[in-house]
Amino acid sequence: MTPRETLENWQRAGRKVVHEADAKDLLQRIGVPVPQRDPAHGRCVAKLCHDDYPHKSDHGLVRLGLSPDEAKQAAADMAERFAGGTALIEEMEEGSVAEWIIGCKRDDTFGPIVLAGPGGILVELIDGAEIRLAPATPQSAEAMVRSGPGARLLGGLRGAEPADKDALADLISRISVFFSENADLISEIEINPVMVRADGKGLVAADALIVLSPEADEQENFT
Amino acid sequence: MAEPNTNQMAAGRPTVAEALDGLFNPRTIAVVGASRTKGKLGQAVMALLKSNGYSGKIIPVNPSGGEIEGLAAVRSLEEIDSPIDVVVLATPVGVALGALETCTRLDVKVVVGVTSGFSEAGEEGHENEERLRRIMQDAPFRLVGPNCEGVVRPASDLQLTFSPMFNDLHPGPVAMISQSGALAGLMALRLGERGVGINAIVSSGNETDLTAAGLLDYLGNDPQTRVVLCYVEELRDGRRFAEAAQRLTKAGKHVVAVKGGRSRAGSRAVQSHTGAMAGDDRVISAVFRETGVIRARESVAAVDAVTALAAGRRPAGNRVGIISVTGGLGVEMTDLAESAGFEVPVLDETTQTALSRYVPFYGSVTNPVDLTGVVLANPTYVGRCLEAIAADPGVDIAIAIITFVPDQQFIEGMAEAYDSTDKPILIVWTGSARSNASGEALRERAVPVYDSPARAASGLAALAATTGEVT
Repeated sequence: MTPRETLENWQRAGRKVVHEADAKDLLQRIGVPVPQRDPAHGRCVAKLCHDDYPHKSDHGLVRLGLSPDEAKQAAADMAERFAGGTALIEEMEEGSVAEWIIGCKRDDTFGPIVLAGPGGILVELIDGAEIRLAPATPQSAEAMVRSGPGARLLGGLRGAEPADKDALADLISRISVFFSENADLISEIEINPVMVRADGKGLVAADALIVLSPEADEQENFT
Repeated sequence: MAEPNTNQMAAGRPTVAEALDGLFNPRTIAVVGASRTKGKLGQAVMALLKSNGYSGKIIPVNPSGGEIEGLAAVRSLEEIDSPIDVVVLATPVGVALGALETCTRLDVKVVVGVTSGFSEAGEEGHENEERLRRIMQDAPFRLVGPNCEGVVRPASDLQLTFSPMFNDLHPGPVAMISQSGALAGLMALRLGERGVGINAIVSSGNETDLTAAGLLDYLGNDPQTRVVLCYVEELRDGRRFAEAAQRLTKAGKHVVAVKGGRSRAGSRAVQSHTGAMAGDDRVISAVFRETGVIRARESVAAVDAVTALAAGRRPAGNRVGIISVTGGLGVEMTDLAESAGFEVPVLDETTQTALSRYVPFYGSVTNPVDLTGVVLANPTYVGRCLEAIAADPGVDIAIAIITFVPDQQFIEGMAEAYDSTDKPILIVWTGSARSNASGEALRERAVPVYDSPARAASGLAALAATTGEVT
């Protein structure tokens, strides 16, 4: 099944918000690095993914820093409380130097656009996202990681290691192309945070969300 | 997303370019609603067409026939058996829709709908709007408006409008597209006062057919156009507008835009941070920046920006040299320039030596240069000082600030200084209206002249944007 067919199936099934576990499955297929699932060793994250609860931490559906066994137990507990959810156990990303947000949406005036800026909790703190038309060319994505207040953060503040800007620019461009090609099916796509490692070491998508468009016949009533 | 496809149209329908070629150099114009009665739109349109010297054929259309503005009127469009480049609709909405229907059976290139009473009229206009859209679906012509103030093309002596705000413009590098006719009038008048020439003005009104994006593409491609000034409230095909703007700015032209009003939507539920962070206004600013469009916050600031750009001189960098006949205005200009990211650097020694021949001991030859009122004693001094500062290798943009002017020679001297360099020069002339000198020498060169440092700063900011990187 192509990623597009997956999106069509989801839409046909009436899904509006596609939860993290499914969104990551899809993103992995288009070349987005995601954390290793169900690791045997190391520190883990346990989450319960559910279309109705996209903001997981608000509902206590994220547990950090667990052993693999603790993670399994935590996931089972959460699944009991929220029926219909999908448990997700992943390796915890601890080598990142910056957290970023990459998002795409359809703007009423200009159509598909892509946004990138300081992510994670910084989203609430810094109004520093760069916005461009999607799909963003590689040069345009490059400019996005070199502009605005975020550029200094990626460059390494006060002796911090510089982040892998090339990998980030590549991901921005890749997501924006995927979104633009499927903008009739997806109304928003967001990876937040992207854990960006030190220069040359790549990155990983720690959380993701896909918001589907209503089906064409529904759309007519929608506007 | 499905873009409105304006290229897919009825057989025989002219392309945007064909229609606008006909609109701007028409051989025949028919005015529906032409009238002898003062106060009627059709009377004003006829009078302005005639008084501005349009030399093509004008056919007044009025059901009672007779003679209007010395021309024989036909009773209906159907009596015209030759091709008509432009039909102007200047009647109440019911008659206008009837005439528009008639046009579908005639050889017409473009219709300019001055008439109001469509979508802008809410509930009451709804039925008219529906009928308009039905007619336009298969119409073999293109439509400007409706609910617009018309079209102006000084090079063709064409003033197809009821508004006298567009009188006395001369041909030049600025094209204007405005969804508001009144704002187009205000901006045209101000540009005209400064001697900035106009290539074309299109008041695009409701944009039922021809949109700002199509007009931008056409007017920007015109070799006569250097700057396009846009006032838009709703960008109907924003993507095409952005793409057209990017093509223009990459070709070295400039687009200055004022985006009025709030966008639609806004209250839609937001599922993601992206939705909340990429609000309508932020996206507009970002896309404008990406495509090289200079966004002005309101119409007068836009005129100030266009004035600086229309002169056609690009700065090599951001270093500003300021001379002023008074300390205070020099300080204010310096503050504004610096807060906008410009440098006001130390002047070259040669420049300082040249200036010290004119500046008394209580003045200052450091940037900003305080010439003091003493320079007013000799009408040529300010011009020479301006020439000196513009020649400084460390100055990219020169600004001269003057208050009242004792005589004409003073202004001629500044015009000569303008001619002596290729660098951008801005003049702040606070007392122009009360001076004993005409600004004609500056106007005929379209030297950017502002009445305050703040307005000059808008021009300065526009010049800075021309050096910015457009990806």
